[in-house]
Amino acid sequence: MMWLSGGFVFRRGTSVYHKIDPRVKLLISVLLFTTTLLARYLYELAIVLAFMLAVATIAKVLRRVGRTMLLTVTFSVIIFVLNFVFTRSLETSALYASRFVAIVVSTSLFFITTSPDELEQVMKTFRLPRDVVFAFVTAVRFIPVMMLDTIQIMDAQKSRGLELEKGNILRRVRNMIPVLIPLVVNSVVRSGELAEAMESRAYGAVPKPTSLVQYRARNWDRLVAAVAVVLFAVTAYSFYFVLQGIFP
Amino acid sequence: MIEFRDVSFVHQNGVKALDGVSLTIGDGETVGIVGENGAGKTTLVKHMTGLLKPSSGKVLVDGVETTATSTAQLSRKIGVAFQNPDHQLFSESVKEEMAFALRNFGFPPEVVEQRVSWGLELFELERYKESSPLVLSGGEKKRLTLACILAWDPQMVVLDEPTVGQDSIQKEKLAGTIKMLSSSGKTVVVISHDIEFLWPMQPRVVIMKSGRVIMDGQAPQVMLEKEVLESARVAQPEMVSFYAAIRDRPRAPFVDPLEAARWLGVMKPR
Repeated sequence: MMWLSGGFVFRRGTSVYHKIDPRVKLLISVLLFTTTLLARYLYELAIVLAFMLAVATIAKVLRRVGRTMLLTVTFSVIIFVLNFVFTRSLETSALYASRFVAIVVSTSLFFITTSPDELEQVMKTFRLPRDVVFAFVTAVRFIPVMMLDTIQIMDAQKSRGLELEKGNILRRVRNMIPVLIPLVVNSVVRSGELAEAMESRAYGAVPKPTSLVQYRARNWDRLVAAVAVVLFAVTAYSFYFVLQGIFP
Repeated sequence: MIEFRDVSFVHQNGVKALDGVSLTIGDGETVGIVGENGAGKTTLVKHMTGLLKPSSGKVLVDGVETTATSTAQLSRKIGVAFQNPDHQLFSESVKEEMAFALRNFGFPPEVVEQRVSWGLELFELERYKESSPLVLSGGEKKRLTLACILAWDPQMVVLDEPTVGQDSIQKEKLAGTIKMLSSSGKTVVVISHDIEFLWPMQPRVVIMKSGRVIMDGQAPQVMLEKEVLESARVAQPEMVSFYAAIRDRPRAPFVDPLEAARWLGVMKPR
């Protein structure tokens, strides 16, 4: 939960990257994600990760991205072990484990630099149904609220003698029940209340509502998008035709 | 006894929630902690049970530093009823909800049974004992959280905004329970914005503002400090403001209610 909060929750920033059109930021993340899937060797993945860290540095979120990477290590280790058990190849297992980290970072880069409002606009650009957009954006907006709820619930249960860090894994999982039940119940209650509040404020009364903010790509945004596409093309080409010659 | 020795606490986001708080709460005291939202009241309480550890300074419970012990051990001594009961209710039945903490603290089954019955009776929750705690009303949930805490008989009881969602009758009953706890020698700390609720108990009042304790004293003395109260966005009790105004008026042993109202500025003079 904590890594989810740190790695995917938007915080307002003043970097150049934050000011880019959200559609371009989505494009960059999609390209980074795709390049991650195209990488077939560890050194290729290292290049993609270097690109991602460069973007994170420009966006001034390197520390947060670094923390996310550290927190994904647990899952990476599981992926590594499972792959090693089945493939018996260290390199393949390491590739899949690192690929997971890279995938998380590429998505994290988009979410931590894009506000829920921008996210809504991006989704509308793809002509997704309004209810779907609303549900998704609301879910994103509620992540910090749920994080706060989780902390408060944990505090309340610890104050009743619950020791979350005590015992073996099975006991620790069982100890989470008093935390998870109030969290789920609160979320269900909150969603019901939110639905009522939205309806009482005429949500859905206009079939095709207009939008207050209309995004128009500036020349700068077009330039960034073009550079991203060119870099993607060059990287993908080198993966298949250049680097293999250098690192056989 | 709880001692705060020059305690400061800074959140991860850099916000200073407590700033050099020094405070001692003795055994058997009844203390009201008041102050505006974000003054640091709940953060102070979380330090008592070790849920938060001070960034600097020391918090001692019965002479033991909270950093040297666990929240579970501290909670056996200090029962905290948090503001939102929905943050703790999860069991299948009200009875089970009450037994949860007792089992965590290792009470034998027969004692658990006995204390659950006692708590349900005290807070008039017997008829709900087999119901889910999630279907109770806001006020009933609040009473249940208090019953859950009193069941394990802690030395000190901390109530965070206990009057929220309670009707006037329940508030009276709650005040009665607090008096009963005080008279039985328990330390009671009440965090509340409801000054009219605190006033009749005549507690020691601690006023907090921006993470600092700006005033600490007995209610009759503290509640007369209108400027201090206003700076911490705390309203003076109606009764106090009325008598404070009367006291300041020279030679006015008897006041006609209408004259008093005009004089207090409620009505304009004709």
